[in-house]
Amino acid sequence: MQLQWRIVPGQTLLHRGWDDACVLYNDLSGDTHLLTGEAMQLLLALRDGDVDPEELAAPELATVLDTLAGLDLIEPC
Amino acid sequence: MLTVGQLSRAELGRRLAGAGIRLGTGRFTTSLRSAIPSVADGIGLLYADYPLRPDDGFADFHLQLTRPRNLRRWLGPQVTLLYDGRSLFKPLPLDQAFPMFEWGLNWCVSSRANRYLIVHAAVIEKHGRAAILPAPPGSGKSTLCAALVGRGGWRLLSDELTLLRLDDGAIVPLPRPVSLKNGAIDVIRDYVPGSVMSRPVTDTVKGTVAHVKAPSASVARAAEVARPGWIVFPRYVPAAALQSEPLARADTFMQLAGNCFNYSLLGAEGFTALADLVDASAGFRFTYSVLDEALAFFDHLAAG
Repeated sequence: MQLQWRIVPGQTLLHRGWDDACVLYNDLSGDTHLLTGEAMQLLLALRDGDVDPEELAAPELATVLDTLAGLDLIEPC
Repeated sequence: MLTVGQLSRAELGRRLAGAGIRLGTGRFTTSLRSAIPSVADGIGLLYADYPLRPDDGFADFHLQLTRPRNLRRWLGPQVTLLYDGRSLFKPLPLDQAFPMFEWGLNWCVSSRANRYLIVHAAVIEKHGRAAILPAPPGSGKSTLCAALVGRGGWRLLSDELTLLRLDDGAIVPLPRPVSLKNGAIDVIRDYVPGSVMSRPVTDTVKGTVAHVKAPSASVARAAEVARPGWIVFPRYVPAAALQSEPLARADTFMQLAGNCFNYSLLGAEGFTALADLVDASAGFRFTYSVLDEALAFFDHLAAG
């Protein structure tokens, strides 16, 4: 069964991007994270329901999804 | 308005030892009491241009420097700093009374003035735009700051605390004496002839310290805010060639956040204020060893 992901409730994804890097404020931990532009795009797509389950299952995304989960920005659902 | 310099040394000493003075430094008023002569000497020398606010007016901070009545007073005289009548810090040797006032006032602002985002950074201004110099101790920040305001034609906004107004991103000046340590004291004495400097105090936790009087013109313009222009992370490396390297904005943000006193406390509001600051500023890593070269670099920035 494919693992599905969602944004952790309460995250507003307050962020600012420059060039190919973003800083993001984690509403729940109060931490600030430095993310690649791609990771930020993935977060926004998850928020907007704009990612197919097949895409999320792609091995290429496993590392970035694990990283985002480790930062408590996303969770399995 | 009455300034500290309009009082004789004797009158200043009498007032400080009595009801105290209300010292205006930029947006803040400090009620200060002390019968310790070196405190009056330091205030008289370095704060001569600063206004004395009305005795019955509001004060943001209430400080008193006094000699504690403990056993140590028989072994080595000490000074203690009272904030709102309470002692928050360990007493220091009496000789360190004036530096303790400076450190105590920095603590007051950095821990209490949370309507600003506060960066541990020197900040100077030319043509309305500010250069922020965040750096850990030992990086040559204060030496560079003293040279830039003493000889480079920059206005001193602050040597230690960059105050970013949350609602509009303006940088609010807090011009106060520049703190120099160890070898920097002689460097600035030579590089900025005529600079007014307090007596060096030895054996502090920071080594030997002395404070340089802020330029009178900077004190006179303490109500005039500046717009952010540059964020320069300075590093003094002996004998190094001058090097400046543009810093990516996201990296600038993360490094700045690490130099803030109250970034975490302000939460999302602090994030947005800092992001706006980074949006408005060009960031650099900057290595220097020769002050003339460093001043030329900053001139180039201001001319751009």
